[in-house]
Amino acid sequence: MVQISSSFQIESEAIDADHRHLVEIINEITQAIDDGRPEECARLVPNFVDFAKQHFAREESLLAEYAYPLLEKHRRHHHSLGDKLQTMLNLAARVAEHPPARESLRKELVYFMLDDVINEDLNFKKFLSEVDADGKKKVEK
Amino acid sequence: MQGLHIHGIHHAYGETAVLENVSLTVPAGELVCLLGPSGCGKTTLLRVAAGLEKLQTGSITIDDTVVAEPGLELPPEERKIGFMFQDYALFPHLTIRENVSFGLFRQSKRAAHERAMEMLHQVGLDHYAEDFPHTLSGGQQQRVALARALAPAPRLLLLDEPFSGLDTNMRARIRDETLNMLKQTNVATLMVTHDPREAMYMSDRIKVMGANGQVLQSGRPVDIYYKPVDEYVARLFGPVNVIQGSVCQGGLETSFGRYPADEIGDGGDMRVLIRLEGVSLHNGAATPGDAPVEVLSAHLLGDSSIVHIRFKEGANQGLEIRARVHGSFDPTESGEVWARVDPRCVFQYAGTPS
Repeated sequence: MVQISSSFQIESEAIDADHRHLVEIINEITQAIDDGRPEECARLVPNFVDFAKQHFAREESLLAEYAYPLLEKHRRHHHSLGDKLQTMLNLAARVAEHPPARESLRKELVYFMLDDVINEDLNFKKFLSEVDADGKKKVEK
Repeated sequence: MQGLHIHGIHHAYGETAVLENVSLTVPAGELVCLLGPSGCGKTTLLRVAAGLEKLQTGSITIDDTVVAEPGLELPPEERKIGFMFQDYALFPHLTIRENVSFGLFRQSKRAAHERAMEMLHQVGLDHYAEDFPHTLSGGQQQRVALARALAPAPRLLLLDEPFSGLDTNMRARIRDETLNMLKQTNVATLMVTHDPREAMYMSDRIKVMGANGQVLQSGRPVDIYYKPVDEYVARLFGPVNVIQGSVCQGGLETSFGRYPADEIGDGGDMRVLIRLEGVSLHNGAATPGDAPVEVLSAHLLGDSSIVHIRFKEGANQGLEIRARVHGSFDPTESGEVWARVDPRCVFQYAGTPS
């Protein structure tokens, strides 16, 4: 089971809440794998992918609002994860009859969440804490 | 999270930056490999994780315990880390058992003895317990080094080019044994290597590092090999053929056909890289995309042959490329030879080589 420890907290409630929800779906998927319910797993993975995309959009919108200087780089990073999300969908389609796909999917989900999503998001943790404390940095809409 | 979490490591020697914002996660029971050329900073990252180099920025967490961040620096012996180096680093004046017991100083003599013997049994060397390292082969010494690294039940194992001192056959065997042991112990493992095949064989995930100490790509071995983000990463995994030219009417014309260039405007430079095994040769009936070629030479490597060919016509007429084909390929067979590409082994990038 994946758990987000304090070292993975961005300390932005909106973003951390999204991360928690993504982790909840991952844990449901891995539970479905462990319980031998591949059809449930195949149903949940598209939910995960959809929510991940929504999270990326929400995060980019938030960072734009705060004029995060490395937004374009972060946006490119999100874009580069498209292949990995597609890989998850492909693996999910095979979990029923292909046992190695289950293990690959489990690993992909964990690395995606911890390494590709949260680790990258930690790059703007300090920036967000500073704009939260100093409203002047916020761009007026 | 059980395992290693590194975030935002910058490291410099004087004015020279060797690591630029490196972050990574190694869950318990997984093996992540840092792959890159000499001098890319991968060993420095290992040393920082181990506490052998002082952390400059960023943070390191092992099993949810912060072991290093600005203002905090746990000494190496308190991080519960095991090491395995290229040169084994066994103590020549200690017996094999004493070497394995070395890190068990917190245990009673009897417990340390039993644990050392248990580990030696696991690596199949308990019969050599009272011998000295110099009496063992390189492969056996490496197994002792693994037993020593795992004896204190570390939370994290760091491997620095662990198999590069072994000959090819021995390396494959020790690599397998090591992998099996690591999976049994459920320890998080971070390995550095410059050998792409080793990285692909061993890793659950690879982080490719560039010459400037940045992580260029991170992913499953299969994704990095077949979807390299740039030419540098593609070339790190072996030689490639290059077809280059200017984009015209939205694509690049080659002897293998037209490659669309959606993201490069007309007149822009485009490079098409093809892995050697992505070029196959046949002398049957040609299908669309096959290119007639002249065979210039063939070099048998045993399981495969490297064949030098030259395009006979088309946009790349006269260009020489190489193919890695089955070792049974006979260049003296008569008839027209055709080359065909496997699209999975073809990568397109904008620009000219740096």
